[in-house]
Amino acid sequence: MLKKKKIAEASIPMSSMADIAFLLLLFFLVATVIDVDTGIGLTLPEFIEDPETVEIAKDRMAAVLINENGDVLLDGAPISVFQIKNQLKPRIISKIDLPATRKLIVSVKTDRRTVYNTYIQALDQIKMAYFEVRDETSNAEFGRKYKDLNPEQQEFIREKVPIIISLAEPEAIKN
Amino acid sequence: MKFQKKRASTNQNIPMASLPDIVFMLLLFFMVTTTLREVDVLVDFRLPEAAAIEKIENKRLISYIWVGKDNRIQINDSIVRVEDVQSIMYAKRQELPNIIVSLRIDRGTDMGLVTDIQQELRKAYCLRINYSSTIKI
Repeated sequence: MLKKKKIAEASIPMSSMADIAFLLLLFFLVATVIDVDTGIGLTLPEFIEDPETVEIAKDRMAAVLINENGDVLLDGAPISVFQIKNQLKPRIISKIDLPATRKLIVSVKTDRRTVYNTYIQALDQIKMAYFEVRDETSNAEFGRKYKDLNPEQQEFIREKVPIIISLAEPEAIKN
Repeated sequence: MKFQKKRASTNQNIPMASLPDIVFMLLLFFMVTTTLREVDVLVDFRLPEAAAIEKIENKRLISYIWVGKDNRIQINDSIVRVEDVQSIMYAKRQELPNIIVSLRIDRGTDMGLVTDIQQELRKAYCLRINYSSTIKI
């Protein structure tokens, strides 16, 4: 007598699929680094072979000079790095209502042997001064902080308080 | 009298069949959102600290330049000389016109080297830079 053979059912166990997927998920969670990039942003000027020099009114300029020992001169007067913010703020505020061509320019100049950390601290102070003035201006105008404004209002404040930082053209190497 | 336990007549199981699908969706989300670190950093550096810092919104635009304690410069996966920065960065800018260069420079570096790199970047027309620094508390 011929009996029909029963075909064995072939199946992959699906219950462990979730576990495998969880393992993969854990791998990606562990292996990826979510490091937020933070830093001080700046836009460099274009490179021109022979830059023309333009005379700028003395009261428009705030010259920050940093020497190799980390001493700071602001417009010829020696101050500490942490005073830069408080010294600059009133000068920025006094120029808020002036036209764009007469806003304050902060010029930063370093020696070739100045330590990078000092330079960043000085730049940080300058940026902080500008940010605080922006916050105060937007508080006075709109009653809110700068970062809570809508794009048009931010644009308005940006025009009122533009951040103009000039990195002085490095001198020819003097070693 | 016979007491009968009262039971709901409905099926009380949670359907487990869709669990893998849900987990796969989570997995895909993480795979898409995260960017794997693609270079090994060969130089040793400690970033400076600053308070007035901004986040860079668009990670895909960033290109890094590392400068270590020993004044070695790294771009991509290799150590380069200052003179080579211009050509490498110019090629990068060709691919990504609005590139942001993140400078991860050790805090003890001399400004001379930093200025040299900046001059090279200016020549390569990579004008948007970012001095990478950690948050000062």
